[in-house]
Amino acid sequence: MRKQSRSISLVIGILVIFSMLFTACAAPVAPAAAPAADVAAAPAEPAAGALDPMTLVSDPAWWATAAEPYKGVTITGISESTPPSRYAAEVLGPAFTALTGINVNFEVTSWDEMYNKPIKDMEAGTGIYDFVYIEQDIIYSYLARDFMTNLTQLLADNPQLKSADFDLSKFTSFIDNFKDADGNVYGIPMEAFIKPYLYRMDLFTDPAIMEAFKAEYGYDLAPATTHEQYMDIAKFFTKYGEDNGLELWGTTNQAHTGHASSTYEYFETVAPTFGIFNWGINMDTWKACEANGGSMNSQTAKDALQWRVDLLQYSPPESTASTWDEVAATFAAGRAAQGFVYGENTVWIALDPDRSQVVGKVGVALPPLSDGVMAQIESGEGYIGYYDGGAFGVPSTSKNKEAALLWEQFIGLESVQPAWAIAGSRIVMESTYDDPMIQEANAKADNYYTKMKEEGPLYRGAPPFPFHNQVRGAIDPFIWKALAGDMSAADALDQACVVAEETMMQLGYGE
Amino acid sequence: MRSNRMGWGLLAPTLIILGIFGLLPFFYVIYVGFFDWNVFSAEVGRQFAGADNYRRLVFDEEFLGSVGRTLLFAFCVVTIEMILGFLLAQTLVRDFPGKAVFRTIYALPIMIAPIAVGATWKLLTIPGFGLLPYYLDKWFGIEYQLGSHSGQAFWTTVVMDVWHWTPFVTLTMLAGLTAIPKEPLEQAQVDGANRFQVLRFLTIPMMMPVIITTLFIRIMDALRVMDEVFLLTGGGPANATRYIGILIWRVVFPQTNYGYGSAMSLLVLYMTLVLAFLLFSVLSRVGKQNTSEK
Repeated sequence: MRKQSRSISLVIGILVIFSMLFTACAAPVAPAAAPAADVAAAPAEPAAGALDPMTLVSDPAWWATAAEPYKGVTITGISESTPPSRYAAEVLGPAFTALTGINVNFEVTSWDEMYNKPIKDMEAGTGIYDFVYIEQDIIYSYLARDFMTNLTQLLADNPQLKSADFDLSKFTSFIDNFKDADGNVYGIPMEAFIKPYLYRMDLFTDPAIMEAFKAEYGYDLAPATTHEQYMDIAKFFTKYGEDNGLELWGTTNQAHTGHASSTYEYFETVAPTFGIFNWGINMDTWKACEANGGSMNSQTAKDALQWRVDLLQYSPPESTASTWDEVAATFAAGRAAQGFVYGENTVWIALDPDRSQVVGKVGVALPPLSDGVMAQIESGEGYIGYYDGGAFGVPSTSKNKEAALLWEQFIGLESVQPAWAIAGSRIVMESTYDDPMIQEANAKADNYYTKMKEEGPLYRGAPPFPFHNQVRGAIDPFIWKALAGDMSAADALDQACVVAEETMMQLGYGE
Repeated sequence: MRSNRMGWGLLAPTLIILGIFGLLPFFYVIYVGFFDWNVFSAEVGRQFAGADNYRRLVFDEEFLGSVGRTLLFAFCVVTIEMILGFLLAQTLVRDFPGKAVFRTIYALPIMIAPIAVGATWKLLTIPGFGLLPYYLDKWFGIEYQLGSHSGQAFWTTVVMDVWHWTPFVTLTMLAGLTAIPKEPLEQAQVDGANRFQVLRFLTIPMMMPVIITTLFIRIMDALRVMDEVFLLTGGGPANATRYIGILIWRVVFPQTNYGYGSAMSLLVLYMTLVLAFLLFSVLSRVGKQNTSEK
């Protein structure tokens, strides 16, 4: 027995020594900032601390009375583990419970599971979830299957549950994404942000760097307005990093070769800047190949994908394993001079010294464009990039719709928006832009919020496909093959468009 | 008669649980496999499709490629694990200083959940951060890029699986080796047989039931590998590590194609059974030949 316990102690001792050795060895390769996984997993900082719910509403007594029949009920929701969702789970949920006595069981999970679980629940009619995250791109699929509750109707049917503080007209036009043709609302927006072009202001304004850049390329270093400039800048800073022994590369690249995020990066961020919109799918005929009226495999689309692939040589080594979270972490770690980063990360990257190495150094700009694309965008034909966001909706199968309706109104209060906007770089109400807290953050984040407000109309959400995930899933492998170098960009798109058409036909779309 | 009733009564809970959680889902999968059922198709609900899903599978390059990769993966990991496991068991059967400590450390990977194994290996291999790319580059000048090099990704999944499951093979082999009667082995040595001859003509034949059992367990596990690879590579780069488990997950969950995914699952189950039967026949024949040679 003694011998056995000595062995166990010895094993534990060896493991501790090994873990210390590994930690010590890891130091030289560790990034300047926290590793991607840590940053991605870190909880959102509740900017205003714990909220006092009584100060958020004009009439706390009304909320208590309205919620009386549902006191003690637990409403269950699910969302992706993003800064805005974590804020809702960690700050708004407890505040709502304190106000109403209704418990909120909020599941924040991975992007995949955020879709899988509620879809299974709604399809099977089990009624596990009382509110679900509806990403802007999936709403059309959900509406096509009548998965969501008509909140406009629910409010009309339950006037006793309509808060005087809640006003749908105060939302930005982003709420239109969650309306049907008759204007009925199916989701209360909880996040909305653009995907801007971020760059390192400190590097871009360094006189020595500017001089070296001009000497090499013959024009002034500034945020790229064309794809050629973007490539030049990426190339320049990669070499600059090499020459100076810095962990610095020219651009971020959301290029995971086994994750949907890399397909999104191409179709929603890169392709539109070349003039390829709606994934190159003709929405009148549901065709994707150029020969059939689509543009997924047009020469322009191929050039766009090739540009993306070419950028890999100037991207950090982790790029082919990077999803949206890791890209934000890479930029925050100061490992890239520029990049396309989801806006929900912009403010913490620019402001939070605990998580970012580039505080005060973040510049925000519009993505580079091909000739003539801005005219297409201004005419309404196209868009410059992705206006991302989502809402919380109530599934038709929910067993606690009335309690969930109160929660929906609570997250849609004007008073909860500013702190939430700081925590998640998201704005869903016009008034939030003018809040002093936002104005202060805005000044430190190169006017990100102002740009979102003014340039937001240039961006657009995902196309209204009722088969969004299905077609994207079919296309994914071709984008991954192109990024991994297993296939040329041209071949990848030639094959992707065929598979996209086949998938749409299998689902009953297109002849 | 009374004892029969009592026997069935005692068995009933097990049979009920088996029926609900084992047989019912199995028959449901068979049923769904005959339908065209995608949650987001224009035509809502299940549409009877007969054998269409199975017909489609036969020509589905992605599915066939995935099956081929899975078989290659299973062949590689099981071969390496069986050989390594057997050799290590031979080592552990003898006494040496620190044996207990070594055996404890060595058995640790079996206790780790596959998802944690995947996460650990991801941290170890992620380019730019991981120890493996760093030291491979520093010491050997090897550019290790899991996200770009298909071969590296494939072999990394093989090594990860070998690391995870070789201890299991070793422990089962060790149990087999310690159960072998010592007399025939000592008798053979007295008769002048060398170590290899003892191994070839006595140890291995006597170990055959253990070897076959371990082999089947590992083959079936390797054919359904999913979580650790999914976490490490997501099936990438491109489809280099998209083993059949990952493909089925993608078809059934993100693409919500329940009918086609069910058909895939059934065909894979059928192939696993056929493979197991063929292997069992071959190994049984080899075992009988060895016995008759003796």
